[in-house]
Amino acid sequence: MSVNRRTFLQGTAGAIGLAMAQGALSKIVYAQDAAGTLRVAIAKPAGNLDPQSHYAIWAIQDLMFEPLVRYGKGGQIEPCLATGWEIEDGGKTLHLTLRQGVTFHDGTKFDATACKWNLERWMGLEQFSWMNCSKQFQSLEVIDDYNVAVHFKEQPLALMQELTYTRPVRFLSPKSVDADGKFKDPVGTGPWVQLSADDTQSVFEHYDGYWGDKPTYERLEAKVIPDARSRVAALRAGQIDLVGGFWIAPLTAEEGKQLESDESVNVVVDPGNVTLVMAFNPDRAEALKDQQVRKAVSIAIDRAAISKVLYHGYAKPAGNIFSGALPYAGTQYDAPARDAAAASALLEKAGWTGSPIRMKDGKPLTLELVVSPDAVPGSRVIAEVIQAELKEIGIDLVVRSVDHASKHTDMLEQKYDLGFFLTYGAPYDPFGSIVALCLSTFHNDVEGKLVTDAVNLDPLINAAMVASGDQIQPAIQKVYDWLRDNDAIAPLVYVPSIWAHSKRVQGFASPITEYDMPYENIVLAS
Amino acid sequence: MNMLKTILAQINKMPRAALITIGLFLALGIFAPWIAPQDPSAQNLLDAGGGPSAAHWLGTDNLGRDTLSRLIIAANTSLVSVGSVLIIAMTIGILMGTIAGYHRGWVDDLLMRIVDVGLSIPSLITALAVIGIVGPGYWTMVMALSLAWWPMSGRISRGVAVSIMSKPHIEALRVLGASPWRIYFGHLLPGTIGQVMVYATADAGTAALAVATLSFLGLGIQPPTPEWGQMLVDALPYLESDPRQVLLPGFALTAAVIGFNILGESIALNRIPKPLTRRMLALRRAEVASWGKENSNA
Repeated sequence: MSVNRRTFLQGTAGAIGLAMAQGALSKIVYAQDAAGTLRVAIAKPAGNLDPQSHYAIWAIQDLMFEPLVRYGKGGQIEPCLATGWEIEDGGKTLHLTLRQGVTFHDGTKFDATACKWNLERWMGLEQFSWMNCSKQFQSLEVIDDYNVAVHFKEQPLALMQELTYTRPVRFLSPKSVDADGKFKDPVGTGPWVQLSADDTQSVFEHYDGYWGDKPTYERLEAKVIPDARSRVAALRAGQIDLVGGFWIAPLTAEEGKQLESDESVNVVVDPGNVTLVMAFNPDRAEALKDQQVRKAVSIAIDRAAISKVLYHGYAKPAGNIFSGALPYAGTQYDAPARDAAAASALLEKAGWTGSPIRMKDGKPLTLELVVSPDAVPGSRVIAEVIQAELKEIGIDLVVRSVDHASKHTDMLEQKYDLGFFLTYGAPYDPFGSIVALCLSTFHNDVEGKLVTDAVNLDPLINAAMVASGDQIQPAIQKVYDWLRDNDAIAPLVYVPSIWAHSKRVQGFASPITEYDMPYENIVLAS
Repeated sequence: MNMLKTILAQINKMPRAALITIGLFLALGIFAPWIAPQDPSAQNLLDAGGGPSAAHWLGTDNLGRDTLSRLIIAANTSLVSVGSVLIIAMTIGILMGTIAGYHRGWVDDLLMRIVDVGLSIPSLITALAVIGIVGPGYWTMVMALSLAWWPMSGRISRGVAVSIMSKPHIEALRVLGASPWRIYFGHLLPGTIGQVMVYATADAGTAALAVATLSFLGLGIQPPTPEWGQMLVDALPYLESDPRQVLLPGFALTAAVIGFNILGESIALNRIPKPLTRRMLALRRAEVASWGKENSNA
């Protein structure tokens, strides 16, 4: 058969038409398959869902396991499996009233016995001593079927906040462990029951016996899509309904911006409650011992331009270690505006002179910034911006990119002059980050330290840790003031929480913490 | 003059497009600092992602830097790194190969087994291992790639050296009592270098790609030095909103790699004797026939 121009054009037109029809049809087919199912993207398999292990995606555990109390907007503590709580005996006793009529997915009743079994799985163990309530745990007393009293050696800091965490505090059915007490199946009291889980997806259906408001749709599928661009493509193709979340399947600001122009997708941006902070390491870089140099570095950075260009305006420049969205965040200051002239003047005053790179005692002002784009997304580009900005004031900034594992090692071993840290966000902050990242006596073998000063800062943090009631705010404010007055850290931006969903998802609201799955208010359009 | 003619004749046999591409790459690479219209690291965040204009002929990148200047300076970066890798790798390779080819026997066996081990590990894996131990950086990358690259030139050098050593003029030199130094430095080494250099041309493309790959992975050239692989990875998030940022460094890298490959292939092919054309065959036959006549006349 010979191919003439006409046949060729007809064939090509037919092929294009078929491809377009296939695209449109596949969307319809995907939509039909998904009736009554919310399909969420996750960046990696859900992992070991044992609430006492540290490997699973938090948000997947959140679907099945519930805490005693929930972390509400602005840090409000809301009832969940406990309907009432009272802190007695100067903070050393916690009296809990448990919710009645709650059953685990396997039919086991949630009562004081189940509560005691769960709390004793982790409270008081060395492994969980990073939690104040576990560190201070003394004993647990069952008063009756629905009343429990927990006794502590000392008043634990931020007790109720700690009880909202995902792990290790959430509740597992006592029957879902083997004879040795090891985790067997993910059986909780939450609104979702896991049907299956493998490396490609985890499938859940709603729990008919759930005590609270049941989801309005029957199934939830968490689909594993490791590549960010594939997630965006899957959302556009109608294969998934929801993507986003810092720990679930992160969307970059650029991806959010691109999706905004897509009519079949809604982009939801929340200011977030995680802060990107730059750390100074004066122990390694002699120059950074001088506060004037630290301040010069801080005010030479154009936070507004970083927020506007690199985050497309989704992020807000940070003037504090914690955003106002968190409780006890302290007095909120505006982010410092870039002032290269003032920064140069500070360096001159500190004795660093000359150009293009400033010198002092024959040594050039060279600093090393360690970045890991795997650990802090987008950090390499931010580092390049800071590198150019510091060059203008005569600082030679060497950017060293490392992988995720090396970043942790380098930070722990203090092999950096400047480094990026992310605060933990709600529900851990402000105390989580302050204690783990700034208290020199606290053993932190994961992130390293943002700043430490055993003489000046530790007493302030310790005072804030033992404060109670109205004393907490002024005590922690002293910590913030010390950090600010000494230019000990340079907060850069509040990292936004970016989500995108298809039009069939209605009523979506960003989760209150980055550790929750935002399924609650969603209604699926048919 | 004759030498120039020979070189020009050789060049004339090569494919024009590849020759122009590589010529352009070399010219840009060598004269980059004088050709680049702007400072390749100068940022203007408020002008980020700008399209082509009178001020920026090829537009600006995600940080508002002039793309044209960055592409040109990146040619220099690639040229210097690829050149350094090949020089170091070939120095090691040729030394090992010629020593093995000259000495033969157990030295040859030992050196070639080392080469076999080197060849059995993929070059990028070796480079990644070295960078993993030493840490990323420009010269670490050059050293890592050199270590990964030398076994190939070692193997080729040994082959060439063995063939040179079996040539009659080397035997004649030996009979005449030439010293080993004279044979090695005066005859074996120059002959091997010349031939192995040819293979280096073909390898240059692969080395350029390896440099770009390592930079793409964040393990090679560190910011703010522009490099095509680095430019590609920086531009990747903008693939959809501004494909120009990805296409330009991608095109430059592709052109350089294809250019080197075609050039290397053509040089290698030019060295193989080609079958004679019909016309040449007829002429030769006529000439041979004429010898017979001359003999009979005599």
